[in-house]
Amino acid sequence: MAAPPEPGEPEERKSLKLLGFLDVENTPCARHSILYGSLGSVVAGFGHFLFTSERSCDVGVGGFILVTLGCWFHCRYNYAKQRIQERIAREEIKKKILYEGTHLDPERKHNGSSSN
Amino acid sequence: MAHAAQVGLQDATSPIMEELITFHDHTLMIIFLICFLVLYALFLTLTTKLTNTNISDAQEMETVWTILPAIILVLIALPSLRILYMADEVNDPSLTIKSIGHQWYWTYEYTDYGGLIFNSYMLPPLFLEPGDLRLLDVDNRVVLPIEAPIRMMITSQDVLHSWAVPTLGLKTDAIPGRLNQTTFTATRPGVYYGQCSEICGANHSFMPIVLELIPLKIFEMGPVFTL
Repeated sequence: MAAPPEPGEPEERKSLKLLGFLDVENTPCARHSILYGSLGSVVAGFGHFLFTSERSCDVGVGGFILVTLGCWFHCRYNYAKQRIQERIAREEIKKKILYEGTHLDPERKHNGSSSN
Repeated sequence: MAHAAQVGLQDATSPIMEELITFHDHTLMIIFLICFLVLYALFLTLTTKLTNTNISDAQEMETVWTILPAIILVLIALPSLRILYMADEVNDPSLTIKSIGHQWYWTYEYTDYGGLIFNSYMLPPLFLEPGDLRLLDVDNRVVLPIEAPIRMMITSQDVLHSWAVPTLGLKTDAIPGRLNQTTFTATRPGVYYGQCSEICGANHSFMPIVLELIPLKIFEMGPVFTL
């Protein structure tokens, strides 16, 4: 159904949509968050049951939601930071290639300021 | 362009669209968790053997299910407003193009460096060549440079239209008697498609938009500067 990838392009992973709409394979951090959430749910639910011998489904569901959300925000924050760093690196490389050897060379400016 | 039966967003070709995709992922995860909770509550309701006909109030639960949705809405609203204001920034465009909607074609005017004006009609099926896209390809594409801020001024000569290019995160209404402005910066070259997004008559589905984004060096050699 999807268009075949061009040569050199990374192949898009087969999409697995939870509840029919959340594509965990192609959304960054989604798979990681759901897996950790499931683990958190099992640990919380089972742990609660071990300690109290009471019905622990509610604790399990609550654990899933909280752990998924926590992992999601943590992962997305790091992903955003990484994207910004990649963008800065790309811009610096472009500037370096464009201005190498000229008075606008960033390396020359940096060396000049450090020798002063 | 979208592939057949595509439901998700297209890959981003502008920084604003990248932000929109990030926001979409963020909101979708929140929605997924809410749906999961609701499904669980429904499951419990349908499978419980307990009955209690004497419930009269539940102040704590009512407080929780008022405050929690408010917090969730704030978590969604803050990134949304951030992107809204980011999309409205006008960052010294290098080029201004006018796009005028008609029934049922678009007119584009490159008047910054001369007087290039042309119409863009959908290619009828009989005129398609092998490899052309049915209902999407046009006779004259809008050729623009990448990595340069571009301002689009959009209006209409007759009825309401809407100039939309999903991969750039653009959709701006073309309103007769009004000039709407949108700006964008494309980050990668290619051919990108959009379709009229406001019902405008019998051939509303047959007035597509095609942008051909090329490197600036090649754009400078083109008809805009050599007319």
